[in-house]
Amino acid sequence: MRGKSGDMYLLAGFSGLMITLYLAFNWAPSVDINAFQSPEAQRIFYWHVPAAWAAFIAFTVLFIGSALWFFKRSPLGWKLHIAGSEAGLACGLMAVWSGCVWGAAEWGTPWDWEDFRLNTFGLLTLLALFLVLGRKSQPDGVESRDTFSTFGLYGFVLVPITYIATRIWVIRHPGPVIAGDENSSISGDMALVLIIGALSFTVLIIGHIMTSIEITKFEQRIDRLQKELDGE
Amino acid sequence: MEDKTYLSIAYLGMILGLAIWTWTTISRSRKLELRIIAMEESLNIKQAEADSIAAANDKPAE
Repeated sequence: MRGKSGDMYLLAGFSGLMITLYLAFNWAPSVDINAFQSPEAQRIFYWHVPAAWAAFIAFTVLFIGSALWFFKRSPLGWKLHIAGSEAGLACGLMAVWSGCVWGAAEWGTPWDWEDFRLNTFGLLTLLALFLVLGRKSQPDGVESRDTFSTFGLYGFVLVPITYIATRIWVIRHPGPVIAGDENSSISGDMALVLIIGALSFTVLIIGHIMTSIEITKFEQRIDRLQKELDGE
Repeated sequence: MEDKTYLSIAYLGMILGLAIWTWTTISRSRKLELRIIAMEESLNIKQAEADSIAAANDKPAE
């Protein structure tokens, strides 16, 4: 009964992440020791940037799912909403955690409340936390789905704001390292490791979304079977 | 703290987070699957009926 394609994606994603980790520690060149306070800690970004990338994919899935549910009453939309919020929470927390540790090493403080981009990304992660915890505490129904979908729809506004903030409101957080201006480019070897990391996180998150959709199907099926057992 | 300590803390935290997230998801899926099998056996549901229940799953409670 259990679909194995989700497991295959998870396995492939994990393998890719382990390869990324190996390359980040043993192959990727070091940064200029004069350009950073903590040059070694810079290697955090080989997972930090892909985790943030995966979080944006998850928030996009959350937005699409919320819109499909809210406007079309699509059952698949609701499953995507659940999968997107769970994946967004996990990847968002990973990006925030690694960013805080790097900030502590490089800036001497884990968080800068004046940096626009940090705060909008933090808000996105908190939104995912609210959706995951809120859904667990509420009975499933049309009204609760509508409420959570509305938050999923409006919360997505923070995604383009966060993206734009990396380009025009660079305060403390570094600007984009790929597709940025000429001052923000990185070496070819570093970019390669980063791309392998981003691809691995993408595959992993696809596996998680597929498994999460399957879990939602199982939960709904159990509800129906329970009603049959209760003789309703 | 040294540079490498920060590096280790960041990656250990992310690896732990990934492991917990993935383990929780897979074990939840397996547990639910086993529960469905047990419930279908107790209801004596045949495969064709099980499929029709699965198709009806997509409707939310009103």
